[in-house]
Amino acid sequence: MSNSAIKRKPRKNRPKNLNLFSIRFPVNAVVSILHRASGMALFAILPVVLLGFQASLASQQSFDALVVSMQAPYAKVIFILLAWAFFHHFFAGFRHLGMDAHMMTDLPQARFTSRIVMALGVIATLIFAYVIW
Amino acid sequence: MLFELLSKRYPGMRQWLTQRLSALVLAGYIVLFIGLIVIKQPASFTQWTDFFQPTWWRVLTLVFFTNLLIHAWLGVGNVLKDYIFNVKLRVYVQMLVEMLVAVELVWMVKILWRM
Repeated sequence: MSNSAIKRKPRKNRPKNLNLFSIRFPVNAVVSILHRASGMALFAILPVVLLGFQASLASQQSFDALVVSMQAPYAKVIFILLAWAFFHHFFAGFRHLGMDAHMMTDLPQARFTSRIVMALGVIATLIFAYVIW
Repeated sequence: MLFELLSKRYPGMRQWLTQRLSALVLAGYIVLFIGLIVIKQPASFTQWTDFFQPTWWRVLTLVFFTNLLIHAWLGVGNVLKDYIFNVKLRVYVQMLVEMLVAVELVWMVKILWRM
């Protein structure tokens, strides 16, 4: 056993960095935290979705009013943001399920699937935006 | 081994599996839903209500929504455990989430069966 390793005192002034904006997150961490954030956002918006679903089925009048309000540009922007939250959660969820089954768990593979998930989320959102606009 | 892990002694394992099985149910319904919307393209009020008319589809939608609420309940619970360290506060917030989830389930039944 090397003596120098034992005798060395622990460094008390190790550098600390709590500024999250100066840290570059690895892509796997980004996918993971966005999976959480998108899940929370989707749960938070659920009552509004239920209100809309109720209005869409209740009567012809409420259906028409809902269609008009959904065509406002700001409403469409919100739908596109929510669509991204959904698609990211969807694809990242499949990635997590795959990893639970021990698929693509090497670091290079995990990075590769993370990039695929990010790309699929954006592509699906762009298709959604094209369809509704 | 697997059955032992899923017994009451390991509630975390049950939650873990429930979270993932519900995810599969959600994915299946959503793919089916998007497919049916693309095929049928319901545009008017009548077409939209017809879309939700068949009993099997309403039941399937309710199964989907129940799984969604279970999935969200477990997911939000995990996030709360990570970020709220005050146990009393966390239990309280978790209770609010559970009440909201219960209300949403009843609400969905009322919407689907027009009550």
